[in-house]
Amino acid sequence: MSSTSQKHRDFVAEPMGDKPVGTLAGIGEVLGKKLEEKGFDKAYVVLGQFLVLRKDESLFGEWLKETCGANARQARDCAGCLREWCDAFL
Amino acid sequence: MAELTDAELRKELIALGYRPGPITATTRKVYAKKLACLQAEAAEPRRRVQAAPPSPGRGSARPQQASPSRQRSSFIPPAGAARDTPKQQADGKSRGLEYYLSQFLCLASFVLFMIFLGILMVKMIGSGWLDRREENFNLLPVDCDKRTDDFCQAKQKDVLMNVLHELYNYLSVQAGNFECGNPENLKSKCIWVSEAKDHVVNVTGSSPQKFDAALHWILNSNKDLGIQLKAKDLSGAVRSVGDVFCLESAHPQMGLGCRFRRAVVTAIMNLFLFFWSLITLWGILLFLRYRWRKMEEEEQAMYEMVKKIIAVVHDHYKEWERNLERYPYVGIFHVRDSLIPPQSRKKMKRVWERAVDFLASNESRIQTESHRVAGEDMLVWRWTQPSYVSDSEH
Repeated sequence: MSSTSQKHRDFVAEPMGDKPVGTLAGIGEVLGKKLEEKGFDKAYVVLGQFLVLRKDESLFGEWLKETCGANARQARDCAGCLREWCDAFL
Repeated sequence: MAELTDAELRKELIALGYRPGPITATTRKVYAKKLACLQAEAAEPRRRVQAAPPSPGRGSARPQQASPSRQRSSFIPPAGAARDTPKQQADGKSRGLEYYLSQFLCLASFVLFMIFLGILMVKMIGSGWLDRREENFNLLPVDCDKRTDDFCQAKQKDVLMNVLHELYNYLSVQAGNFECGNPENLKSKCIWVSEAKDHVVNVTGSSPQKFDAALHWILNSNKDLGIQLKAKDLSGAVRSVGDVFCLESAHPQMGLGCRFRRAVVTAIMNLFLFFWSLITLWGILLFLRYRWRKMEEEEQAMYEMVKKIIAVVHDHYKEWERNLERYPYVGIFHVRDSLIPPQSRKKMKRVWERAVDFLASNESRIQTESHRVAGEDMLVWRWTQPSYVSDSEH
């Protein structure tokens, strides 16, 4: 259970509100910038995409790789983070 | 694939057993890829039929772990419950092993006992049946010593047999006495020829020549008569009546008590090894039972400790929410020192460590982290359940 990062834990601990997309686990500076260029400037927009994909983590991972060039680990971290947030708050 | 409209793409995906979300500009590419994947798998022989469900399946299995936090009840972690059944199975297996081992040992003991009785009986009955030849031969009505006609020959043969029987009985009685306590203080089972001759002659009333004839007959006979002729040097072959020094019975007659005693001793000797190995296995079984009981007690102690720790960490978190505590986490050593009094810390060390390991691997609501508490880096436990859930319980 301690394999999650601090970023993940911080994100999942509270409603995301207006947090920027860089606060998502797995999304660093570079990926964050790319997502913002595509229009995903807030975390809730990425959440929207996750929900449209019916919370399918693997599909979301594919989408993330396509959109901003994330690698498998980053995609997995981001998907897991969003899923946990959904479980807690949605 | 790009020629498919949204509706067709959706229909294709559903046909392959996958339920897609809305197909929008951003999702079309991903769903097209998914369709290609599924079609490739469907073309393969049905090895990976499970490929489609696992992603939504996995996605729906994990929420079950976190959703008890949303439910009103369940204080018991589902991961802990899932661990309990493998644990119970392992216990059941060790129970089964113990059960089978004890059954096997009971059976083996019973078999050993039966074999023991069998050997006993064989030894007791033994060669007793050979002594049942009760034939009373009267003495010759007429004096047939000097005549050689057929009738006399037959009668003489009978007398010879009689002498032999008497000799046999005498020898076996003497041998039996020798084996069973030796009341007459005989030096050996072998009876001197002169003694035997005197005894037989006295009992049957026949002449010493008859005795020598009988010995001669024994020498010439190939059958096993139960009488052994021994020469003076005890190992040489006996060639004539003159060489014979002493006579020994091969089938001693012994009383019932004596037979029983000897049978028991023989049986024990034969089964010695078997007996000792059984004793060892019984010892091992008892030891194993003791150990299993001890292990179970330790497990119970560990679970008690885990329950107490969970309560302490949760209370600490609640107090932090009410702003009574500074940090939401609590040091592991602090918890230990508050739960275990100083005098039992050494004794409970093992139980404590097992509880800590259990929490680190099985408890989903408590995170093990490293933080700086009061200036010191230490491992802490942090309660991770969202607070509004526990509030809504009250």
